[in-house]
Amino acid sequence: MRILVVEDEPTLAAQLAATLGGAGYAVDTAANGRDAGYMGEVEAFDAVVLDLGLPIVDGLTVLKRWRALGRTMPVLILTARGDWHEKVAGIDAGADDYLTKPFHMEELLARVRALIRRAAGQASAEIACGPLVLDTRSGRVSVDGQPLSLTSHEFRVLAYLIHHAGEVVSRTELTEHIYAQDYDRDSNTIEVFVARLRKKLPPGLIETVRGLGYRLACPQ
Amino acid sequence: MSRGPGGGSLRLRLLAGTLVWVLLTVVVAGWALGRMFAEHVERQFQAELATHLNQLAAHLAIDADGRPGLGAALSDPRFARPYSGLYWQIDVLADAGAEGARGQGGDAVGRPGALRSRSLWDVVLAVPRDLPADGQLHAHDTEGPDGAPLRMIEQVLRPAERPDMALRVIVAANAALIAEPVARFQRLLAIALALLAAGLAVAALVQVRVGLRPLARLRDGLAAVREGRSGAIDGRFPAEIQPLVEEFNAVLARNAEVVARARTHAGNLAHAVKTPLTVLANAAAQTRDDAPEAALARLVRDQVALARTQVDYHLARSRAAAAVDVPGLRTPLRPVLEGLLRLMDKVHAGRGLVVRLCACPEELAFRGEAQDLQEMLGNLVDNACKWAAGRVEVRAARLDPGAAQPHPTAHPAGAAADPHGDGEPGARTPARLRILIDDDGPGLAADAREAVFGRGVRADERTPGSGLGLSIVRELARLYGGDARLEASPLGGLRAVLELPLAR
Repeated sequence: MRILVVEDEPTLAAQLAATLGGAGYAVDTAANGRDAGYMGEVEAFDAVVLDLGLPIVDGLTVLKRWRALGRTMPVLILTARGDWHEKVAGIDAGADDYLTKPFHMEELLARVRALIRRAAGQASAEIACGPLVLDTRSGRVSVDGQPLSLTSHEFRVLAYLIHHAGEVVSRTELTEHIYAQDYDRDSNTIEVFVARLRKKLPPGLIETVRGLGYRLACPQ
Repeated sequence: MSRGPGGGSLRLRLLAGTLVWVLLTVVVAGWALGRMFAEHVERQFQAELATHLNQLAAHLAIDADGRPGLGAALSDPRFARPYSGLYWQIDVLADAGAEGARGQGGDAVGRPGALRSRSLWDVVLAVPRDLPADGQLHAHDTEGPDGAPLRMIEQVLRPAERPDMALRVIVAANAALIAEPVARFQRLLAIALALLAAGLAVAALVQVRVGLRPLARLRDGLAAVREGRSGAIDGRFPAEIQPLVEEFNAVLARNAEVVARARTHAGNLAHAVKTPLTVLANAAAQTRDDAPEAALARLVRDQVALARTQVDYHLARSRAAAAVDVPGLRTPLRPVLEGLLRLMDKVHAGRGLVVRLCACPEELAFRGEAQDLQEMLGNLVDNACKWAAGRVEVRAARLDPGAAQPHPTAHPAGAAADPHGDGEPGARTPARLRILIDDDGPGLAADAREAVFGRGVRADERTPGSGLGLSIVRELARLYGGDARLEASPLGGLRAVLELPLAR
């Protein structure tokens, strides 16, 4: 799961990145509207945290452009003004939720998780796939009620697969959603993470679709 | 209309001025014309008498006995009709051949009435004694044979045949011949002038009405601005008023600009302050409870929360205070509500919350600033959505004064479940908006409903929020002359009632 944080205040951006990173997300940051717009257009993000008061290009314009280009990732906007007008304008521009500054990081984390879950069509906070359960609120994974210990990369791969359970997910897609932009990407490492996950999970849960990618097959 | 000092009606002033002037002019003109006409008639009358006199003198002949006689009758038939009003008479003043007569009486007049017109019948005209020089024309006002006032002219002649003989030739006519046409003329003149004055007065009235019509239009324009139907005075006005209108519009625009700038400044300040507050709060939140700086972190957290509340409160208040007195503000209600409900729909999509706008007539508008309306409604709707189990209903209606104020609700039970909604004391401003926001959440006990309007009071600390929402809602509503309160909702939860001034 990969998240774009767009915030021009460096300390807050760092705090956001640290919080989201700590929750198991791959985090990219942008400090102005132009960079953010470009990143959102070409990269695949599972969610965006977007401050509206940005230098160069403001947040609303960036958001409208993404939506016009058909980018559908959930967007959480941060407003400092607290104007309802701005919130409504944000929602009308295509945002999915808003937070008014100052906010608690736990609140932000909860909103981001809910957005990602909703975007994947999951109504419940817990996403289940057979014996496998991902609690999106805490970020914990369990099999038959037993907590599973995962590295952050393993978690990201599994979280992405479980949000897209039943769908075929290509290696490229996984790569895009697991690494931040400045990370040295190598699609072979995906295979390594999948192999490790398979060892930790009940057999047959992660299927390989030859030439296409992987699929999380949930037993009914 | 109230009349301040130096006030009064412009129309009355213009009318009074014009009428006084018209009246004065007409009276002076009437007097002058009457005088001129009378003089003219008199002069003509005198000239006519003189003509008769000349004719008389021309026909005058002295016979061999020295007795005067007329060679021919005078042309005017009135001389022949008794008491016709036109008379002549010839007196013999001195006669050398009748010396005795002169010596006898010592009187200048030898034989008055030696010759008379038939119209005089047997009366002899008495001539006031002033003995003019020979040939001089003299006019007198005397009394005629029938007692009517008479105008006479006399001339003393000495016939060429008998230079020693002095004859006085007199022609007289009733003064009524002058007075009558003058009186008739003056009557006609009076009627004509009265008609003229009336016509001028009507014209003045029409002129004032037409001339002042732009002022009435200006008044309508101002009323529209005050009632919020328009942001400026529209339309072209006459050159004398247009500068006023432009000045006024400029003031309005400047007001709006000042408010907008205050708002922007407030927003910028909020932005500038809140981002560092967020950073501070987050830094403090990352401190573990067992860390040595835990006390400091808690202090920072508390103070940040306090600062946030203060900033929010004062910003909202100052913004609203700036906008309340600005005329010409009008915010249609429906788009604002729809926008907020779109927001709530999206934000609470994950909870399956049904947020409905049950009733809100298109024409309803708030007499105030859009952002303030959003602030009030946003807080109330957000609050309802936060607490609702699954349903939030919003409805708005016009609230007329004096009416029984029925709740515009689809649930008749609403009125029964409303303990003090209709009994709100205090003066009601003419027409209001009433917005009801119902939720099916847990609601609040009756005694707690007032308390949550206090600053920083929160019914529940678990749900995020600053505790500022409801207090600022009430504060804003009251600044605008409205009110906000909480009641029991027919849906089972809480009903927020917001009453605001209506823009026509």
